[in-house]
Amino acid sequence: MSADQRSMGGVGAAEPGGRESASRPMGIRPAFREIRKGVVVVWWAFFDWVAVVSWKALLLVSLFCLIIGAGILQLPTLTLLLIIGAFIVKVVAGGKRRADLTANEAMRRAETERLERTVVEARMEALQAQIEPHFLFNTLGSIDQLIQTDPPRASKMQQSLIRYLRSAMPQMRDGSRPTLGQQVGLCRAFLEIMAVRMEGRLQAAVIVPEGLKSAVFPSMMLQTLVENAIKHGLEPKPEGGLIEIAAEIVDGQLAVHVRDTGIGFLPKGDGGVGLANVRERLKALYHGRAELIIGVPPAGGTCATIRLPYEVASAPG
Amino acid sequence: MTASMHPAPAPTAVVADDERLMRDQIVARLKEAWPELLIVGEASNGREAIDLVRSLDPDIVFLDISMPGTDGIEAATALAGQAHVVFVTAHDEYAIRAFEQGAVDYVLKPADPARLALTCQRLRERLTQAPDPMHDLLAQLSQRLGATGLEPREYLRWVQASVGATLRMIPTSEILFFRAEDKYTRVQTQRFEALIRKPIKELIDELDPKEFWQIHRSTVVRVDAVEQVSRNLRGNQVVHVKGSDEKLEVSRSFNHLFKQM
Repeated sequence: MSADQRSMGGVGAAEPGGRESASRPMGIRPAFREIRKGVVVVWWAFFDWVAVVSWKALLLVSLFCLIIGAGILQLPTLTLLLIIGAFIVKVVAGGKRRADLTANEAMRRAETERLERTVVEARMEALQAQIEPHFLFNTLGSIDQLIQTDPPRASKMQQSLIRYLRSAMPQMRDGSRPTLGQQVGLCRAFLEIMAVRMEGRLQAAVIVPEGLKSAVFPSMMLQTLVENAIKHGLEPKPEGGLIEIAAEIVDGQLAVHVRDTGIGFLPKGDGGVGLANVRERLKALYHGRAELIIGVPPAGGTCATIRLPYEVASAPG
Repeated sequence: MTASMHPAPAPTAVVADDERLMRDQIVARLKEAWPELLIVGEASNGREAIDLVRSLDPDIVFLDISMPGTDGIEAATALAGQAHVVFVTAHDEYAIRAFEQGAVDYVLKPADPARLALTCQRLRERLTQAPDPMHDLLAQLSQRLGATGLEPREYLRWVQASVGATLRMIPTSEILFFRAEDKYTRVQTQRFEALIRKPIKELIDELDPKEFWQIHRSTVVRVDAVEQVSRNLRGNQVVHVKGSDEKLEVSRSFNHLFKQM
């Protein structure tokens, strides 16, 4: 940056004087027009430079010009005039010009950010809508089998599936802001289904205080953490394990944990698509006031935590 | 195999699926579709399936593709040529496309009785021949499903680092840069810094070269996090990173990285 400005300063400060005197002897019209154009360009470059340069740099360049102009070229009046002119330009137009440039830059950045956010939101919605076909077909298969062998259990499992689908399908969600209670309910339905399918291999615990269930919590994030814990943590483990959903208030923020005793996180695995999705949505929704932390408990397994501002949803009308 | 040389003993099969309900279903439907077939064993993962097939020597093995530990593809690879393999899968367009090339059969879960009857018909015809070792199919499948080490090099997607007293997994996409500091390497993100023990020299081999560039003996920066490159008073390139005030010097041997900028 500073190097650029310095070289620009050289052009701006040295040329106006030189060109002015060189333009006279030419006399031919097109050449004159060319030179005028050149002068205009140089003038605006000089103007821009004066407007954005720091006072200290301007002072230094002025001093330099004074030495060359007044001392070596013996043109003290012209040099002084030029310097005073520059300072007047700086005082009158500097602030406005600089504000213009900053505003332009800020607007450009805001526009890019807005576009980025729109794209992210659109992609998020597409991703959110995904219900794993694997999950659906396997669950339907299990229900099909239970209808033959244990109809009451088949019916219970089907009810869990209906509850799950109702909240997992985006078009089934109502417009109100999702609460932690709803999201935990959805995960409970999912865990009930998985517990039937995985039998003894999956144990689940939900430790969410009643008082926190009215807290605002974005849709399908907890679900992603739970699915991840089962898919990448517990399912690959032949003996299975425990999954626990817990919520608490930490430093005035809502913290929701999903812990599992699975095989732990693989640094090279690409099982992070769902998590990257959660992270991006948190960024878009809370602008840096929320985060997803993947912890590695000393005892093994994984602990995924979402922290976001604690806010109570208004009572449903 | 010896079984096919004896005059028509009852055909035998092993069924492997990690979910008992699905196993029960396959077994029940097989009983209807092929009453003479004897289910001699049931396995709940690929490892068990391999052991059972080796000890019981069945004619057929029904393998679920996604199972914990050793999955169905790996089990089939291990058992190549020892039994006729039928894959069982809930949903796998890749697998299905591969099966359509005709080497072995597959069953879609939940098993449709009519389709399963067709599978049994095919198996009856196939039992007189030796099991197909299916080398091509398996290689193709495992490549598509990413089951074995056939795919290109894998790079770090997460870095395990200590933040204060806790261990965390940090996605590489959140990391701005790595910097060598005494015995540790500092991991800088927009929100916090963390420490890892691995030196830069080892780390750089594990990071995706498209994602991270080494710009100095002690600095590795994520390319997407670079905001601009300028020169300092000594004429060295300096990298500015989005979301951090720290300026990272580029040593001369890495200058070529930013030539066009």
